[in-house]
Amino acid sequence: MAMKENLRTLLGAGWLGWQMEANWTDPFLFLVYSVAKPVSGALILVFMYIVILGGVAAQSTAFAYIFLGNAFFIYVGQVLFGVTWVIHEDREHFQTLKLIYISPISFYYYIIGRAGSKILIATIAVVVTLLFGVFALGIPVDAFTMDWGLLILCLTVGMACLVSIGIALAGITFLTAKHSGGINEGIAGLFYVFCGVVFPITQLPAWGQSLGYAIPVTYWLEAMRKALLPAQQLQGTGLQGIENIWLVALLAVSALFFYFLSILIFRLGDYLARRAGKIDMTTAY
Amino acid sequence: MKEYLLLNLRALKGRAYPRVVGGTRELSWIFFDTVLPLLTVAAYVFVYKYLGTFEGPQQEYIAQFIGYVILGGAMTAYWMNVLWSMAAQFYWEKEIGNLQLYMIAPMSRMAVLGGMALGGMFYTSVRAISTIVIGVLIFGVTFSLGPPIYLVLVFILTLIALYGMGMLFASLYMIYGREAWHMSSLLTEPIYLVSGFYFPVRYLGSIVALSASIIPITLGLDALRQLMFTETAGIHGFLPVEVELVALAVLSVLFLFLARHSLRFMENLGRKTGRLTMRWQ
Amino acid sequence: MNYAVETKDLTRIFRVKKRRRRRSGSKGAEQDVTALKDVNLRIEEGELFGLLGPNGAGKTTLIKILCTLLLPTSGKAYVAGNDVEKDPYPIRRIINMVSGGETSGYGLLTTRENLWMFSQFYGIPSKEAKKRIDEMLEAFGIWDKRNAKVRTLSTGERQKANVIRGFMTDPSIIFLDEPTLGLDVNASRIIRKFISDWVRETSGRTVLLTTHYMMEADELCDRLAIIDEGGIVACDTPRNLKRTVSKASSLMFEVDYLRDPDKLKGIEGIQNFTYKHNGQMNRTLLTFIVQDESAVADIVSRIVDQGAKIHSLEKREPTLEDVFVSLVGKGLA
Ligand SMILES: Nc1ncnc2c1ncn2[C@@H]1O[C@H](COP(=O)(O)OP(=O)(O)OP(=O)(O)O)[C@@H](O)[C@H]1O
Ligand SMILES: [Mg+2]
Repeated sequence: MAMKENLRTLLGAGWLGWQMEANWTDPFLFLVYSVAKPVSGALILVFMYIVILGGVAAQSTAFAYIFLGNAFFIYVGQVLFGVTWVIHEDREHFQTLKLIYISPISFYYYIIGRAGSKILIATIAVVVTLLFGVFALGIPVDAFTMDWGLLILCLTVGMACLVSIGIALAGITFLTAKHSGGINEGIAGLFYVFCGVVFPITQLPAWGQSLGYAIPVTYWLEAMRKALLPAQQLQGTGLQGIENIWLVALLAVSALFFYFLSILIFRLGDYLARRAGKIDMTTAY
Repeated sequence: MKEYLLLNLRALKGRAYPRVVGGTRELSWIFFDTVLPLLTVAAYVFVYKYLGTFEGPQQEYIAQFIGYVILGGAMTAYWMNVLWSMAAQFYWEKEIGNLQLYMIAPMSRMAVLGGMALGGMFYTSVRAISTIVIGVLIFGVTFSLGPPIYLVLVFILTLIALYGMGMLFASLYMIYGREAWHMSSLLTEPIYLVSGFYFPVRYLGSIVALSASIIPITLGLDALRQLMFTETAGIHGFLPVEVELVALAVLSVLFLFLARHSLRFMENLGRKTGRLTMRWQ
Repeated sequence: MNYAVETKDLTRIFRVKKRRRRRSGSKGAEQDVTALKDVNLRIEEGELFGLLGPNGAGKTTLIKILCTLLLPTSGKAYVAGNDVEKDPYPIRRIINMVSGGETSGYGLLTTRENLWMFSQFYGIPSKEAKKRIDEMLEAFGIWDKRNAKVRTLSTGERQKANVIRGFMTDPSIIFLDEPTLGLDVNASRIIRKFISDWVRETSGRTVLLTTHYMMEADELCDRLAIIDEGGIVACDTPRNLKRTVSKASSLMFEVDYLRDPDKLKGIEGIQNFTYKHNGQMNRTLLTFIVQDESAVADIVSRIVDQGAKIHSLEKREPTLEDVFVSLVGKGLA
């Protein structure tokens, strides 16, 4: 019974999220969010690369490593940002947070539902960026040699993991004001530095490498690269020895861990927010 | 006349005040606004370090590139502030009901925006300076500074032109609410790219670099880099610093002038259509 | 001499674009809402003028136009002789506006800081501003909230702060759009008293007030306009307005049993007279409809002449609500 209700909340929120994002059919907004922003972000790295090494053909394995890591990282930013943004937006702009909050639906499922639509939209940006990399920059991703099984499996588990982390952050967001942007920007930034996104974690000092090995995103990105370019693996990344099966297992275990952690933090954040009366606050200056 | 000036100075001070205390009142802000932006900067620094392990035409200048990234990262703080807390601010103000109270008051609208700009510059400078200081401490950048008077001039003119541009945007956002939000969003990564926040802008080619120069940060950042890393200024700089200085001065005047007129125009348009006070659009 | 507010055939039409229906693809049709239609109004300097009208009548629209926030579609509006369209700045120097339920300022600042900030937009020297603010905080009974962040204030406290924000700049004309919306009896009384004292304290101060509380309008306003569907349907003093419904008021006396009540007939100024005996209580109930109250003295002396005692006198006048209902056809709150 409760399950059915939660499912309904989830689907309803997914629908609501999609309605809110439905202006995606607007060509201008599609260009902004699914093309201009992600491709420019990738091009910054491409130009850094070209400036230092003279062209993208030089050290092409390293180039593919950087480009793919950056492309899939869009998911991390979008999902973390998306989940916390739901809270921020509902609270400050629409001022409906309190309305949803006092309605009897499970807020937890509401957020997951809203996150679903964000994942869909992030997927468009990732695909556009990848297509740009393949066709404009010659990254040798090939639909026939790709490891589709690994791709789909890791994508699913990876998303579950990211949403869990996002919800943990949402719990913290309950307590903060202007910084809801800051928190996910910060966590995403941490992941960007420590998870071997645009450079191998072997570049980091020893403590930074240890941190990198502790975050599931590191393995997730490695798995995505392996799925897309099974034949072309960069040496000296600190992860090249790990078998695919272990990558998946590590991901699954950490996803489960973050799932329970997120429930804990979310409940705590929710409780503290109510105690501090921050459910319906607004804060501009 | 004197009275009008005094009124506007007071209005400026009044509007700058919440910005300044807003920053000091919630101290968690310092953590979020100084440590977090450093992360992106750090990632790019490591990218340069990594690329430096390969043989390449710029291999010997990796240290300078790291410095460029840190400087660029510091300037992103101002750009974000202009986009979200200047340009989009009138939209938030409308939503929370302050805009109409500003509009019925007798001060010049430029004074309100000026106050917002000054307050914004103040707290953004904390973020920018700390990015530079921490970046220098962690990554060990060494500067070779040019004439300080130039440095100061470039910095001030960049900020004036930049916030002038912010005021111009603000007038647009006053009327065009939510659409403006998407504009700010659009002007993030693409501008980081074309204004050369993370690599010298000359490598984009002169046509792109010149077009991007309409954004004051492009030339300002290039000039700052040339003045802080004089040894490589000749290799990585886009235009001579003097030229960039003049261009920044021109941009300052241009944007302030445009902002003033656009504000008037948009205010009238808003009064005509009723969008000045309409919320939740 | 200029009127504080004067409008000539003031009309405001809103062009509303209908939302494009999803998928239907057809461009939304434009639809016009006439919020004000040929409004002619003159408010004298020193008046406390009220605007009454049902929801959506155009009250707020009128105030926005006078506050230079909105332009007329046609017609003219003058505030202290300045055209709202052409000379907004001289107007802005001498006006202020408070609306009920508004939020203003920044949640992060304290009450006092927020008020100070707004005072700076009117160029009031800081010292002077702080003095005025402190005095008014005290007068409104929120002195203890002076250092509280505004986002922690209750609705009523916030509204008091808004009223202070409006009055602290010492405007010559103030526009109050439902200033007591959502306030408790005590708070509204404080605000009402402040408003009427303020107007009378110094000559030349003018208030334009909208409200949905009939009692408030009756008690406060020198003159009232009743506005409906964008047009003024009546404009006069509350007293005169009430007379239009029924020119007379009714007086009810409860007196000792009168043997000959018919003797009371024929007093000058009496429109109608009825009586009823209450044998059980040994009383008589007399009801007079009088043209004006000067008749009261006569009535009383005739009753006393008959040797009867007056136990109670009740006068029932038509209320503003009666006026409102008769003009607008529907009651308010
Ligand atoms: N910006 C706008 N765009 C379109 N229509 C508007 C706008 N502002 C007001 N209206 C319409 O104009 C009419 C008058 O509105 P107004 O706010 O002046 O009413 P009011 O008398 O203040 O009502 P209330 O007592 O509910 O405050 C209403 O029908 C309203 O829907
Ligand atoms: Mg109204």
